[in-house]
Amino acid sequence: MPTGPARVLVADDEDDIRALVCLAVRRAGCTVVAEAADGPRALTAARTDPPDLAVLDVSMPGATGLEVCAALRAAPATAAVRVLLLSAGASPDDVAGGLAAGADDYLAKPFSVAGLVARVRELTSGATA
Amino acid sequence: MTTTDDVRTATPEVELERLRAENAALLAQMQHRDGELEVATRMLQARAQTMTSVIDAVTEQSIIGTDVDGVIRVWNPGAEKLLGLPRADVVRRRSITDFHLPEELEAAGGGLAALVRAAQEHGSDVRDWTYLAAGGEELTVSVAVTPRTDDTGAHAGWNFVGTDMTEVRATERMKDQFVSLISHELRTPLSSILGYLELVLDDPDQPLTDEQRQYLGTVERNAQRLLRLVGDLLFTAQVDAGRFSLQPEDVDLAAVVRAAEETARVTAATAGVELVVDVPDGGLPVRGDAVRLGQASDNLVANAVKFTPRGGRVTLTLRAAWRTADGTVVPEEQPDAVPVARLAVTDTGIGIPAGEQAQLFARFFRASTARRNAVPGVGLGLAITKAITTAHGGTLELDSAEGRGTTFTLTLPR
Repeated sequence: MPTGPARVLVADDEDDIRALVCLAVRRAGCTVVAEAADGPRALTAARTDPPDLAVLDVSMPGATGLEVCAALRAAPATAAVRVLLLSAGASPDDVAGGLAAGADDYLAKPFSVAGLVARVRELTSGATA
Repeated sequence: MTTTDDVRTATPEVELERLRAENAALLAQMQHRDGELEVATRMLQARAQTMTSVIDAVTEQSIIGTDVDGVIRVWNPGAEKLLGLPRADVVRRRSITDFHLPEELEAAGGGLAALVRAAQEHGSDVRDWTYLAAGGEELTVSVAVTPRTDDTGAHAGWNFVGTDMTEVRATERMKDQFVSLISHELRTPLSSILGYLELVLDDPDQPLTDEQRQYLGTVERNAQRLLRLVGDLLFTAQVDAGRFSLQPEDVDLAAVVRAAEETARVTAATAGVELVVDVPDGGLPVRGDAVRLGQASDNLVANAVKFTPRGGRVTLTLRAAWRTADGTVVPEEQPDAVPVARLAVTDTGIGIPAGEQAQLFARFFRASTARRNAVPGVGLGLAITKAITTAHGGTLELDSAEGRGTTFTLTLPR
């Protein structure tokens, strides 16, 4: 079992939002092991060094967060990575689509930083044990 | 006419003369009838000509007539233009179903029956169908279907009058996509603004002065306002595009109303408006979408507060009631009456002029009293509230007098 802070991958094509997410992840007591600004790079990073949690923006260039999530689930090495999707689309259909792609949780933008911190803590609580 | 007696008694000469006269009379009668027949034939031809010329003059609508089996008998130039085949190739040779997208027809039950079922039941039917043109092109066509009768009044087939909606529907889709795109593009910077504001406002290591906190509070309030506007625009676009769906669950409407009061409490206090809530103690469950019902209640309460001058009062009354067969809502249970929930939001505000009340639920409509009194808003709230109510199978009514106040009554099935 890995020990120490949970390892988190953060992917969002908006620099400002990505920085905000990274800050929330650190506030949750986790380490940001990789940052990606598009879908393919997020997938490569996750495959190279599988994190405990991937926080993925839904609409990213190259591959959407949903596609990255499905690809992670499909490969045995990354199937156990927990996934938190962030999306500007917050309709129930969007949420259903996210959960259907295998995401563990879904957060609508704009999110509150405190709310994101809480979700990250919750999703990584098993990893640090 | 001759009788046997006449033949026996008359001399041959007289008889011959009589026969000649009779012959002449019959001839004259025949010529007269012939003339009448000619007039009738000309009239019928003229009438048929008028019908054909009218049908042929229609080039922007397809008029297709079929027999009871769907075999095409009438094919106007509009149909030629729309579907790319001349009349001679189609009449008596093809069926109306040949020009429909097979999958769509199959999904509706298949065959001619799928096309005419609603018209058979209701006398006519108008809806979008996908036509397949000769070149394989798919067209979105609004088709009016009506039964056709022959000269004896017997059912002879069907009429299909189509209007090409391909471009109209494509424009609607583009509008929907445009609004979605803009909403996403607006939401992204707003996410940054609100996120970083939260960091600054809630930083325990670097507390803000009261003044700084107040300024940033204003920034946050306005960012939230922009966000709501984006959400409202997106929502109305979804309603337009028919992409708006409810997530039904058991909802306590009393809790929804109390939450709406809580949301409006600060604004009401600042505006000097008293908020009174009167809901059943034991709650009032309805079947509905909690988020959307919350949005509808919030809109009604926020509106009431917004349009009520200082010193006024807004009352939220929720009651269980019953709707009788004639549509009247009564407070006591009655046989055959359907149980409903009734939320009345009453204000002592500026009111809505009677002449404008019919337009009130239209998107972007703003009452003259709202504009005159510089009450902020864009005119989406009531349109959205109405759409939510309708989607729940409910009704939204208003009763207003200028200068005295307004009551909006939302009635939902329970």
